[in-house]
Amino acid sequence: MDGVIPQTGDVMIQADGLTVGYGDHLVLKDVTFSVHAGEIVTVLGGSGCGKSTLLKALIGLIRPIKGSVRIRGADITGPDRNAALDLMRRHIGVLFQYGALLGSLSIADNVAMPLEEFTNLPRSLIADIVRFKLEMVGLADYARFMPAELSGGMRKRAALARAMALDPEILFCDEPSAGLDPITAAELDELLVEWNRALGITMVVITHELASIEAISTRCLMLDGSAKGIIAVGPPDKLKSESADPRVRAFFHRQPRLLRAGASFAAAGD
Amino acid sequence: MTATRSPREDGGTEGLLWAPTGPLTLKTVADHWKSLQDLLAGPSLKAVRVDLSGVDAVDSAGLVLLKTLRDRCTAASIAYELTRVPQSLGPFFAFGGLDRPPHTQPVPQKAAANPLERLGRLTLEAFQDVRELIHFVGSVTVAFLPCCLEPKRFRLKEVLYYVQRSGSEAMPIVFLVSFLMGLIMAFQAAVQLRQFGANIFVADLVSLALTRELGPLMTAIILAGRSAAAFAAEIGTMKVNEEVDALTVMGFNVTEFLIMPKVNALAFSGPLLTLFANASGIFGGMVVGALGLDLTPASFLLEAGEILSLADVLSGLAKSFAFSILVALVGCLRGLQTEKSADSVGRMTTSAVVTSIFCIILADAVFTVLFHVFDI
Repeated sequence: MDGVIPQTGDVMIQADGLTVGYGDHLVLKDVTFSVHAGEIVTVLGGSGCGKSTLLKALIGLIRPIKGSVRIRGADITGPDRNAALDLMRRHIGVLFQYGALLGSLSIADNVAMPLEEFTNLPRSLIADIVRFKLEMVGLADYARFMPAELSGGMRKRAALARAMALDPEILFCDEPSAGLDPITAAELDELLVEWNRALGITMVVITHELASIEAISTRCLMLDGSAKGIIAVGPPDKLKSESADPRVRAFFHRQPRLLRAGASFAAAGD
Repeated sequence: MTATRSPREDGGTEGLLWAPTGPLTLKTVADHWKSLQDLLAGPSLKAVRVDLSGVDAVDSAGLVLLKTLRDRCTAASIAYELTRVPQSLGPFFAFGGLDRPPHTQPVPQKAAANPLERLGRLTLEAFQDVRELIHFVGSVTVAFLPCCLEPKRFRLKEVLYYVQRSGSEAMPIVFLVSFLMGLIMAFQAAVQLRQFGANIFVADLVSLALTRELGPLMTAIILAGRSAAAFAAEIGTMKVNEEVDALTVMGFNVTEFLIMPKVNALAFSGPLLTLFANASGIFGGMVVGALGLDLTPASFLLEAGEILSLADVLSGLAKSFAFSILVALVGCLRGLQTEKSADSVGRMTTSAVVTSIFCIILADAVFTVLFHVFDI
């Protein structure tokens, strides 16, 4: 993974036959997909369909029961899991649902933390990089504030600056716009798209916000709780207008009756 | 990387051409920065030209390096020029603001306070803290009175739960500490008293010291370490999770619902634990008397019973009652003062223990003076 600059089209993430669960309860079964360099892939689906579980498996927080995850070719589920994970974690950024900023550190210190830990840059340059990252997310004037002193949207932007501190090749976002007002959510979406275009960062975004999905996605992976896996893949506009699957149509058109009609149709077919 | 300086007629240096090659990224920027510092630290420059034709990748760190170099040149009135920028880097440089003029507006910093100002602030905070404690004691007292008129508002189930957690579950540690305390005191006293053949007075010393002073004090310190910390952490976590706000909004009286059961539980279990501590300590002294001082357990207990009066036991219990209420109040107050961060929960838990112990010692001093004045 080290030293190779990804080209557009390279496979950055490859999940094969991924089966994940908690105890005897399977959440995902035989999930296979890939994400290419420069893509923004949104993982969507209703509550409890396994979106966050998939994210945890992709970033190595939970070990799959079966199957493999390769991040830029390195298998993070194989026998050399720990070494692969250590290496991978230097090259990915994760934006957690509630920011997960360290409450005892200022915003600037939160962003500086990975730079101080994983680089040999001088302090003055680290301070300049931190200021640059905070300028990018519009928080340059809040560098000395503590996380508890910021609003939810500001905390998320600060967490994004921290996730981007080491210029990761892949950025994972867990419901970035959850709990934000539409304007703040749209600003965050714009920021993700800008960073993707400017730096070519591959992004995997877990969300169920329709507006966000349409604004940022290159491609969508739709999960379904009862299918325990992916039920649709494609660009959002195509899924919205062309999919015949009632579950996909119900989701994109916000019409649960389509889902009920689909279920009764399926029952009649059985 | 190449860097060349053009000479000047007076022997100084006119300009610097810096032409880095390869990637300008997090991994290489530190080395580039070091060599640039050396070059810029030389004789005065009039111009710096950066040639990026040999650069194949730039990340945020590289971009910041270029921006910092530009800003330093601008501040020192050195002409700065960025040339032969690869076309592929154009959008990234535009995104990063390298095509915009330097940001000159200073970032607001929190001003560092001078020592006198800090002392003043700390003093005010200490006064504020005392004021909040008095206010809190008042609000608990106000909440207590209606409960006396309507006993079911004492929430007996919760009180018993906290009696178990703060009282029954503390018995092993109270026994161990008090037993060892009695044992140590008996040993220390025996060394001196044995010289005068006054072994029997070990029983007097151990039983009096424990009943009047050490029993209530050690029990209260154990309660501060266990219960004050637990109360502060519990209520603090509830504050972080907005559970306290939820209770308030739902119309619950937070003092009555959260604080009173804990205060009542400690007020009940503290004196009982003190009695247990007294017995454990006297038992410790008795063991030393029996094994090392040729005193039979019966003679030790008889002597202890003769020297102890009801006033001694009751004064210890009165102290313990007051200490327990203080410990519960301080723990709960610190919990309610928690801000919405995990760090704050830790700080307030520590503060609950430290403040409780301070209050216990202070109250003990007051009791000692009062008992002396009233000859108790």
